[in-house]
Amino acid sequence: MATIIIDRFDGKNRFEQSYKLDAADVAGKTVLNTLLFIKQTQDPTLNFTASCRCAICGACAVRVNGHAVLACDTKMDDLIQTYGSDTFRIAPLANFKVISDLVVDWEPAMENLRKIHPGMVAKSEFSMKEGCRQNQKDFDRIIKQWDCILCGACASECNKLSADNRDYMEPFVFTHAWRAANDSRSKDPLLHGKPAVAGGLWNCVHCQECANRCPKGISAADDIAGLRGMVMAKGMTEGVGPAHAKSFYTDLVEDSGRLNEVRLALRTEGISTIARAGMAVTLLRQGKMNPLEAFGGETIEGHDALVKMIQAAHAAEKE
Amino acid sequence: MTQQFTRRKFLQSACITISALTVNMSGIEKALAAAAGVGPMATCDVLIIGSGGAGLRAAVAAMKKNPKLNVVVVSKCMPSRSATCMAEGGINGVTDFSKGDSYELHCFDTVKGGDYLVDQDSTLKFCEQAGPAILELDYLGMPFSRTAEGKVKARPFGGASKVRCNYSADKTGHIVAHTCLDDALSNGVKFLMDHELLDVAVDNGRCEGAVLRNIRTGEIAPVRAKAVVLATGGYTRIFWNRTSTPYIATGDGVAAALRAGVPFKDPEMVQFHPTGVVHGGVLITEAARGEGGYLLNNKGERFMKAYAPSKMELGPRDIVARAIETEIREGRGYGQGLESYVLLDLRHLGRDKIVNDLPQIRHVGKLFENIDLVDQPMVIRPTAHYSMGGIEVNRFDDMSTVVPGLFTAGEASCVSIHGANRLGGNSLADAVVTGKIAGDGAATFASQADFAAGKRLVDITARWQSRFRDATNGGDAKQLYAIREEMGAQLWDNMGIFRTQAKLDALTGTLADLRSRYEALRVPNANPVYNTVFTEYVELGNMLQLAQAACLAASERKESRGAHTREDFPKRDDANFLKHSMVTMDDSGKMRMGWKDVEITKFKPEERKY
Repeated sequence: MATIIIDRFDGKNRFEQSYKLDAADVAGKTVLNTLLFIKQTQDPTLNFTASCRCAICGACAVRVNGHAVLACDTKMDDLIQTYGSDTFRIAPLANFKVISDLVVDWEPAMENLRKIHPGMVAKSEFSMKEGCRQNQKDFDRIIKQWDCILCGACASECNKLSADNRDYMEPFVFTHAWRAANDSRSKDPLLHGKPAVAGGLWNCVHCQECANRCPKGISAADDIAGLRGMVMAKGMTEGVGPAHAKSFYTDLVEDSGRLNEVRLALRTEGISTIARAGMAVTLLRQGKMNPLEAFGGETIEGHDALVKMIQAAHAAEKE
Repeated sequence: MTQQFTRRKFLQSACITISALTVNMSGIEKALAAAAGVGPMATCDVLIIGSGGAGLRAAVAAMKKNPKLNVVVVSKCMPSRSATCMAEGGINGVTDFSKGDSYELHCFDTVKGGDYLVDQDSTLKFCEQAGPAILELDYLGMPFSRTAEGKVKARPFGGASKVRCNYSADKTGHIVAHTCLDDALSNGVKFLMDHELLDVAVDNGRCEGAVLRNIRTGEIAPVRAKAVVLATGGYTRIFWNRTSTPYIATGDGVAAALRAGVPFKDPEMVQFHPTGVVHGGVLITEAARGEGGYLLNNKGERFMKAYAPSKMELGPRDIVARAIETEIREGRGYGQGLESYVLLDLRHLGRDKIVNDLPQIRHVGKLFENIDLVDQPMVIRPTAHYSMGGIEVNRFDDMSTVVPGLFTAGEASCVSIHGANRLGGNSLADAVVTGKIAGDGAATFASQADFAAGKRLVDITARWQSRFRDATNGGDAKQLYAIREEMGAQLWDNMGIFRTQAKLDALTGTLADLRSRYEALRVPNANPVYNTVFTEYVELGNMLQLAQAACLAASERKESRGAHTREDFPKRDDANFLKHSMVTMDDSGKMRMGWKDVEITKFKPEERKY
């Protein structure tokens, strides 16, 4: 006997509902087939969306036990094995507005996608009549990001969005900006990079949850890092985000090789970092931060080697 | 009581900015609307129904043609959940003329592949635009696989005499769909997501607009439009679980056009793809055979040598599908009944080839059959895949129908380019080429037209509002699912790959029974908010109408041609049936059969051999 607990919403009320299924009715089935089975045999009022049933359209992403999955691409047998249980909670994607049961509102996310101008604009050497040219290496560079099916799993997992979505966009939006900006055929990477910055590029908290749960194995976190590098290289070095990144770099290369947290805060936020004084006191009390670091620290062992490694990485990137 | 519907309610419920739909009311319209109990009507210059490749290309083309027009794309779901994204193999179009290929040759292959039920003049124009469309997609940012010179790469494909199926790994459709979506978003195309088409209204021979249901709120409302483009995709879902297409592609636009009096052309022409997975009908793309896969019977023989000795596994789809079914019928398959199958073996291609060039196919094998194609052959059988038939296109140059103001594109439409059998790679080309033409045509029309009065639109809206109240008043949804399953099974058994008069006569009776069971059907969910069981109810009604039309034409076409195989009339009969079947429906729901000549210019019908 399997138990499926579903977080439901009928447009007015939120409630949870349990459905009991025979083990034989879930064996070999996907989560999507299980939902269809419940709808067709027990409860026609249960609402969810699904279209292609083969992991390419992105319509059926839901959360199982809190984590986003594609319902059509997840087998019940695997879940039973992973969780050592046959009771599961299925909920709509997090960080989207719920319309009904497992159905969420895609409108704001699509408007975010629109903001970064997802369509590439080709270099002037190319034309609509002749098409473009691209070598295999440049094709390989972007093709992983083209696997994105807009299922929303990364957004559901995103801690930054959960904390405050007012100054941040769904992770996949940055992936789309990355792929348009990094296409060798693309004329102006900043066409996509600038709105990405405006949409919170520097607000990612590097938790990597988006990358962990992408059903296509895409790392939006990597794409965010890549976009940050690109916009800085293109001269968008103003603001807290770039200052924070530069501070890391300065510590590692020019200073001791050890991250200096006192200076990091000052360099990132300037004098306004005083607003975080409370946190600083707590850190000091707990022995997590040394105030003397403000005057610099001892250079780490093997600093020369570290600098050489970073220089080599620079050189490799230029190639 | 008729529920009061206000402009504000409609606009608030719509997921687009207020500028997308504007209200334009005269005194008469207000009076009309008040009489019917509905509020003022939303308007939009070009209303595009469907957000697959065709709908999205139409929207961009319409906006480019006349940027002053208000263009809105309606989608039942979110715009990227379309059948376009499921296409895998590639998109046909001649871009390399160095090895003897030409638009004319592409046209000839298409005509021959379609068993001469192809309108040749229009198809040549289609081929002339398919080549440039590939380069345009490249220019828009579509990442095609590349040749050594960095050009768009093509692979061989079924029924094609030259290599012209351009591709991006085995996810070409997904990549096309997202290229089109990116382009639409970047060009400012507006969307009405989670909106379902219920009907199009035609009055005094002019399209007035469409009746939509906002699935989110349940509100059923008219939208007046100067031009409507129906790009809702095909109707092979009538075979229910025996099809490769997505759940949401239920032929809503084709059914709405049929109800509005537009002929449904060649409805019996449904393509069966030879290689679907046994459980659920999802496709293993033709690329598997294009890249060199073998089809094997239970004796381990490459049985295609008996059916298409020169092309072998790369014969056209109808021939390969029939070959597989024949092997199964004559005892050379595996399994029993609905679980029968033959094998598709890729192992000789090697791990690298499978992992790098066919990753999606490998994934489908694992998901549906627990088979890794690197180590084991895949179990496959045919599945309903593509609708060659569709809304009759009166004029290819603007994709207009016989009703002024009503346009169509993509799989929902029937020019006919694909005739009795579509070649692999021509569907994506059809979507982008005809989508663009329809958008252009609709914008040209809308630029010169005024809004129609909308009287019939108001009537139909009121009818749907009361239908929602009646149909959701109690009842048992299990009946809905039972009728749907039975429809699929009966169609598969009686109007599948092998058809006879006796089977089709029986099916005619069965469909009438299912129709009357459907008329009595009620579903127990009156909640207006995202009521998906009501959506399923509407879809089933559409599919039953489309199935009846297809069955009528299949009974009347007493010959075998392309995908339409009549065992009692095994030969093609050009003297009597080199013409399109045209099914129309009157207000009482009665369907009538008519015929229309095929446009033949250059290529005289000859026997189709590969």
